[in-house]
Amino acid sequence: MTKNPWEPYIESLRQQLEEQDPVVLVGVIVALAVVVITCVFLKYFLTSKTVRSAVLLVGLCDSGKTLLFIRLLSGKFKRTQTSITDSSAPYKAKNDRNCTWTLIDLPGHDSLRSQYLEKFKSAAKAIVFVVDSAIFQKEVRDVAEFLYMLLTDPVVYRIAPTLLVVCNKQDVAMAKSAKLIQQQLEKELNTLRVTRSAALSAQDGSVGGSVYLGKKGKDFEFSQLPMKVEFLECSARGSKGKDGDGDIESLEKSLAKL
Amino acid sequence: MLDFFTIFSKGGIVLWCFQGAGVSESFTGPVNALIRSVILQERGGNNSFTHEALSLKYKLDNEFELIFVVGFQKILTLTYVDKFIDDVQLHFRDRYKNELEQKGALKLLNNTFDFEDRFKKLLREAEETSKARSPVPMRSFKESEKSQKTVKSMIETKGGDKSKEQGGKKNKNTKKEGKRRGCLYFNCILFIMMIFTTRSKSPKPPKPKGKVNRVWDNGGSSTKNLDYSNKNGETSLGEDQKNLEAQFDPVSSPWPEPSGGFGGMFGMLKGLVGSKSLSREDMEPVLEKMRDHLIAKNVAADISSQLCESVAKKLEGKVMGTFTTVASTVKQALQDSLVQILQPKRRVDILRDVMEAQSQRRPFVITFCGVNGVGKSTNLAKISYWLIENGFSVLIAACDTFRAGAVEQLRTHQRRLNSLHPPEKHGGRPVVQLYEKGYGKDAAGIAMEAIAYARNQAFDVVLVDTAGRMQDNAPLMTALAKLIAVNMPDLVLFVGEALVGNEAVDQLVKFNQALADHSMSDKPRLIDGIVLTKFDTIDDKVGAAISMTYITGQPIVFVGTGQTYNDLRSLNARAVVGALMKA
Repeated sequence: MTKNPWEPYIESLRQQLEEQDPVVLVGVIVALAVVVITCVFLKYFLTSKTVRSAVLLVGLCDSGKTLLFIRLLSGKFKRTQTSITDSSAPYKAKNDRNCTWTLIDLPGHDSLRSQYLEKFKSAAKAIVFVVDSAIFQKEVRDVAEFLYMLLTDPVVYRIAPTLLVVCNKQDVAMAKSAKLIQQQLEKELNTLRVTRSAALSAQDGSVGGSVYLGKKGKDFEFSQLPMKVEFLECSARGSKGKDGDGDIESLEKSLAKL
Repeated sequence: MLDFFTIFSKGGIVLWCFQGAGVSESFTGPVNALIRSVILQERGGNNSFTHEALSLKYKLDNEFELIFVVGFQKILTLTYVDKFIDDVQLHFRDRYKNELEQKGALKLLNNTFDFEDRFKKLLREAEETSKARSPVPMRSFKESEKSQKTVKSMIETKGGDKSKEQGGKKNKNTKKEGKRRGCLYFNCILFIMMIFTTRSKSPKPPKPKGKVNRVWDNGGSSTKNLDYSNKNGETSLGEDQKNLEAQFDPVSSPWPEPSGGFGGMFGMLKGLVGSKSLSREDMEPVLEKMRDHLIAKNVAADISSQLCESVAKKLEGKVMGTFTTVASTVKQALQDSLVQILQPKRRVDILRDVMEAQSQRRPFVITFCGVNGVGKSTNLAKISYWLIENGFSVLIAACDTFRAGAVEQLRTHQRRLNSLHPPEKHGGRPVVQLYEKGYGKDAAGIAMEAIAYARNQAFDVVLVDTAGRMQDNAPLMTALAKLIAVNMPDLVLFVGEALVGNEAVDQLVKFNQALADHSMSDKPRLIDGIVLTKFDTIDDKVGAAISMTYITGQPIVFVGTGQTYNDLRSLNARAVVGALMKA
């Protein structure tokens, strides 16, 4: 019978363990178990990706985001004012899979826009960009600038959430159609690519978003973007005003397809 | 009497509204104007705002994230409005506490808030109390205090004789009516008690006072106190300790004395962990420190106090999260408001606007104004370099006809810029041209001719350089206002140096005032943007940026960081706020 070379060590270890107080032994075993469990948990949490389940409602001031938010959630009409903070609520998409997204309505005012976008952009599964179709002609450059800022943000570029451009206020007679808005935005973004890349760098040396929209050499088109872009028409107020329903079926269908 | 009353959440959903009888206009416009001008521009110090014919008062409820706004005609002076808003807020909170406490917007949407009858009752009560307090009738001479005094008592003598006389006279008047009788008797009793206590001391004969050495408060008694050779290392430590203590004070305030027992222990834990709502007293020390910190960083003094007031209003009643201290909440809120102030309220893209003007076949006119010596001509040259680099042709209008060498300075810049971008490479035409008419002429006339010349020769941009002038100099301010009103430039840029402190407020206010007063139209052209120069000379004392944007509400378009053509930057709001909040 070969002698186990570690036998004397095992013997001495056994002797030492028996000499110890059993309470101390139990304490040591519990501590080791806790450490092991913590390591397992950390590994689990660190490797899991952040779940992206938010649908962000963004757009210029007064484009109808808050009313759209209310219509999507409850179908009712409520008066709204300029939002100064975000509102969020769970939204059940009308499809067979019955998935719930978190619908988040961000304020559109220029001074608050970027702060709230910073907070929520990493969790975005889809971005609903609301455009006021009635006064679009006057606001083309502002809309395009906001859209440009959104599309060239490095985080948004990396995540590539679905972009739904909703042309709101279709109940007004002078509202432009979605196709026209798409063409105008493409033209405007084409120009903005050039002027923005020539813009001055910031005073601490940091340069703005280094993402170049679309393909160099060719005119900008929304199909060149890495994310899915869709243009929809809808009217949050609806043709009958306060009493009727809003006309948001196309938006609900697109949200169901996410 | 009220035009309207609304209650809406900070997310924008109107929970309940009331429109006065006979009022047909929607109140959405005025309330939006209130939100944009006051709340978003951090001018929340005083709670009233006038918009056209209406006067609006508001109140923030930070615990449930609600805003209460009341509007009434400006010409009426209603005295019960402040108290009325407070009452309505309390009643609304009590009644709908359950619905409001739920986080998330769904509860707000699904509930209809039937506040109508309660509101009408409160309104009736408020109106009645204001009517009940009818104007007080004037007192007759016999009732006034002056008739109580004797002539002798009103003569000042050395010694304590006056009070004795007054007390005696007061005792005589017994015929009084109304509530004042009780008050008067109470006062009499107090006086009698006072007289008896003073009578117990025997009046001392006044001593002839010799000359006494005057003692100053700050002056020491001997020079031994000025010897700091032993204490050299200690004073700095003492100051640091004081700072640490000041920081820890807000946290330690919920800690009761150790002899409090278990009740005290629970209170302390609750203050640290549980939901504690912020009150003015908690925030006061932190806000004081923040105000001093901002002033030390070169933010103008009254703007710092207005900012701190606005942050206090925003945080009052807010429920803090677990393990957050008062100091960190206040700091975070202040940081957010500063970033909000520095973010431009409109699109700032000069190149795009120049392209727009190009497509309309007219030149884009930029005017530079400011006080003496801030760097207008230097930064004008830098901006023209940037524009040339991007392919535009520039005409410089030398409207500084006062300062010696101003025209020559611009001519030198023109020559240098043309040598950097020779005309052969740009279609045979020099990219920069100078339009000047020498010295002593009228600046507004030169500007008008320059713009007409640019339109004829198809220049893309006209940069108008004006003479530096002090804001108090009325004739020069009138001349500047005339130049701007007559020529209607596309962009009026105020050039201010980053070294300026409290002066920035005065400069900007007076410049804007002059531009508004001397313009004929009802929509006067005011300052559209700010150029912040000499930014490289300040380390992290970047407060001037905040002062200037707060006063005008206009964005900082360019930042000048040196004397060469390349030293032109744009503003990064976060970096500036980071430098500002850094300790």
